[in-house]
Amino acid sequence: MNNRIMQAEDLISRQIGDETVIIKDNGLSTYVLNRMAACIWELCDGTRGVDGITEKICERFEVDSDQANADVTETIDQLLKTGLVNQVKV
Amino acid sequence: MQVETPEKQVISSQENSMQVQIGSICCAIKCQDTKALQGLRQRYLDFLTDRPADVSIELSGVDHLNATELEEALSETRFVHGENNFHTTSHIISGTYDLSRGTIKISGEKNLANPDLPINHLNRLLSLGYYSACKIRYNGIPPAFLVHSCGIIRHGQAMLFAGPSEIGKTTVGRLCGNRYGQVINDEMVLVSRQQGDDGRLSVEGVPMLGGLPSRIKAGAPLACIFLLKQSKRTAVRELERTEAFLRFMRQVITPAYIGQKDKRAVYGLIADFSATVTSLIPFFELEFKLDRQSLWRAIEETEIMLGKEKQET
Repeated sequence: MNNRIMQAEDLISRQIGDETVIIKDNGLSTYVLNRMAACIWELCDGTRGVDGITEKICERFEVDSDQANADVTETIDQLLKTGLVNQVKV
Repeated sequence: MQVETPEKQVISSQENSMQVQIGSICCAIKCQDTKALQGLRQRYLDFLTDRPADVSIELSGVDHLNATELEEALSETRFVHGENNFHTTSHIISGTYDLSRGTIKISGEKNLANPDLPINHLNRLLSLGYYSACKIRYNGIPPAFLVHSCGIIRHGQAMLFAGPSEIGKTTVGRLCGNRYGQVINDEMVLVSRQQGDDGRLSVEGVPMLGGLPSRIKAGAPLACIFLLKQSKRTAVRELERTEAFLRFMRQVITPAYIGQKDKRAVYGLIADFSATVTSLIPFFELEFKLDRQSLWRAIEETEIMLGKEKQET
């Protein structure tokens, strides 16, 4: 899964304390992301895939690359399932 | 920012119209049916004003369906929006509007004004009028938001009991009576930042109808918000900010003006307002059973706890 990943359209996100709330489907669905997941979601700008996002995560958090890769892969998988990100077709 | 309309109408009290005050907004309601208008005047008595209207809503009623037929039609009703007009698939309501002139014209079944229908259409109409006027006067950024809650003033401060329909807002109002505080509205209130913006929020009564007969045009600083939960016991639990945000935003009346198509902007407003409120005000979940004493004991204990926290800070 190293296609580029992009945030879905028409989402609303707000920082509430340490967490990020994402509002989808005109308020029908809401999701709460912790700091790491929010950072991964923010990096989903359509220019990077899992490897590129993992690289950025390693720069921002004190985490080794294997652990970061596992976290990013799992998080992206969940974000894809919930429709908060999409894979970019090149 | 205040945006004046180029040809804003100044509407004064006449036999076939009245002006209703909702916070800083004034909505004129015009209706040729003087009997129906008289009924509305009685309902909104404490909120009538002679101020020039920000928006004028002209109502005309038709009487084609009885109550049962109307209920059936409502269940199949979908709104269809055109350019400055709308109608429903069930043909029970239609309208035109021109927000540059501050006018909305609505034609609908008379029975829609019946407050005993599952959805109170008069409240919806006033909410729509309020947010449409906010579009005209404040460029779509309402200075105050309507919140689905029972507002009670105690010791000079307001507390809100918020939650969806049938959760117990009116019951809390009834259990308050005149003994434990002053119920300003058991269905809906306005919440705004106070003038001078020292970070505090204030609550104001609105004319929207609830289950209790009285609605009071009074206001007070907002002390805290209880999100209601029906239960067989009475208990109070302080909520983390994220949970409060997620639950509170569902109690904000959708701030959409007539003809608004950008739903993302609407939910952005709700999110910003909810983020502000949850950053400034403590939130609690209030489970309660139908027992006046245990309810108010739990609320008093919460007030004492908040008072202690305030002293400590």
